[in-house]
Amino acid sequence: MAFEIGIMTFGEITEDPVSGGLPSPRQRVRETIEQARVADEVGLDVFGVGEHHRGDFVGSAPTILLAAAAEATERIRLTSAVTVLGSEDPVRVWEQFATIDLLSAGRAEIIAGRGSYTESFPLFGYDLRDYADLFREKLDLLLKIRERNPLSWQGRFRAPLADADIAPRADGATLPIWVGVGGSPASAISTGRLGLPMALALLLGPLTFHEQTVDLYREAAADAGHDAAALPISINTHGYVGRTSREARDVMFPYFAKGMAENNHQRGKGLLLPRAAFDAQSSPRSGLLVGSSQEIIDKLLAYHELYGLNRAVIQMGFGGMPQKEHLDAIERLGTEVAPVVRREAAMRGGRAA
Amino acid sequence: MTVIDAEPSAAPADGAALRVVVVNGSPSRPSKTMGLVDVVLDTLKGMLPIETSRIDVYRLGAGFTGAIERDDVPPDVESALRLAEDAGLLIAAAPVFRGSYPGMFKHFFDLVDQYALAGKPVLLAATGGGDHHALVLEHAMRPLFGFFQALTVPVAIFASAGDFDGTVLLNPRVYGRVQTGLTDVADLLRARATRAAGAHPPHSNN
Repeated sequence: MAFEIGIMTFGEITEDPVSGGLPSPRQRVRETIEQARVADEVGLDVFGVGEHHRGDFVGSAPTILLAAAAEATERIRLTSAVTVLGSEDPVRVWEQFATIDLLSAGRAEIIAGRGSYTESFPLFGYDLRDYADLFREKLDLLLKIRERNPLSWQGRFRAPLADADIAPRADGATLPIWVGVGGSPASAISTGRLGLPMALALLLGPLTFHEQTVDLYREAAADAGHDAAALPISINTHGYVGRTSREARDVMFPYFAKGMAENNHQRGKGLLLPRAAFDAQSSPRSGLLVGSSQEIIDKLLAYHELYGLNRAVIQMGFGGMPQKEHLDAIERLGTEVAPVVRREAAMRGGRAA
Repeated sequence: MTVIDAEPSAAPADGAALRVVVVNGSPSRPSKTMGLVDVVLDTLKGMLPIETSRIDVYRLGAGFTGAIERDDVPPDVESALRLAEDAGLLIAAAPVFRGSYPGMFKHFFDLVDQYALAGKPVLLAATGGGDHHALVLEHAMRPLFGFFQALTVPVAIFASAGDFDGTVLLNPRVYGRVQTGLTDVADLLRARATRAAGAHPPHSNN
């Protein structure tokens, strides 16, 4: 498959560490749709919205944002990044994404995940002790809904379905369902067994962080009889495409550090990411996709060779990146980075891991 | 209360099944710790005939938790202690709580006779939230059985939360380590099973 490049957002509502300004939720939803429109115009392949149920993100209802994005775009694929499936009703998830698929003429996609934020579980009345069982059962149901209609099904966490007509169906033959994996071996193995595409999340760490995750995934897929080499893998990580190496790091650092301080708590407090640590994470052997267009091209190709990766989805707005800088980076990603990576990856295709 | 599931595996030709006793230090049911032990027992069954019993230390009750000396324990707890002391192979399995094995797990062994485990094969198994807990096996559990002069199996088994889907162990690397650890001592365990077949357990006539 062709290498796909995209962006994702959580609809961050974070105080700007540089200007001190705080975007209103109304401003942020409009900006989110504008990001989708620009990403589409510059030829990016994927636009994703993550699900969070807190005041500092406007992404509690990603399907509604994706539906609005469907109206503002022509070609770009619209995905969740991720749908916290364990606290959802798979029937409703299917109905919503199938509707987006109709609105967008077949561009909808689901990335189902366990979720790294847990607010949705008490909110919708689920017990976190059932975290693993909930995800396994709901993914099973979602896949069966995709596979056949009408459907009879029964499980532990929702009322049984008896010959249920679940509509609408997807616009085309099917709707892609990926699984978001944070790197736990069991999660990679169960995704591989199901033969589903895997979206790897990488927050910080070396480029090679997910080598074991990918090995376990492909081994499990092959053991279960799937064509392991043909299964798509995506990396979903943070980054920023700047005019120059230096400018990219200078622009991204204060926002990324702010986002980390507000979201990556240790002892109940934010982690203050020192600039030196950020610069180390930005080096060629580390995972962050920050730098000049050429640096991002090199790193994406390094990812492609290492993991046999076919897709990268970059989150550039973490920590409340201002809209102008965000749109500039989306434009560079679409016009300067993506065409080169697609061409190079296609040429190297057969040699990838 | 002692939970005993005597499950003899393939009928031994010479009547010698290894008496495996699991001391379970997890309060959860089901638990990742027992998910890991299930893999150990399944692997062991493939190597030699065994019969297994399990002691859930969190289910031994107030007579156990309130006991300061061995003489204080009620008869059912005394039976559980004897069961562990008479095992052919003891599997000591615990989750990491506050940086070590749970206090309830240690309390059980505080009541075990000082020399009852001397020379006894003991397999160490532990589970933790992440890999950074793995040394609990070497820095907490092995010294405890060093005190007892037990014959701890050289390869101890650790699994992290991320290796499990719920309580089912998925990571093949941990399966590999179980296989390695048990293969190392398979001959010894077979010899112990045969030797014990005709003999009375050391505490059975007290």
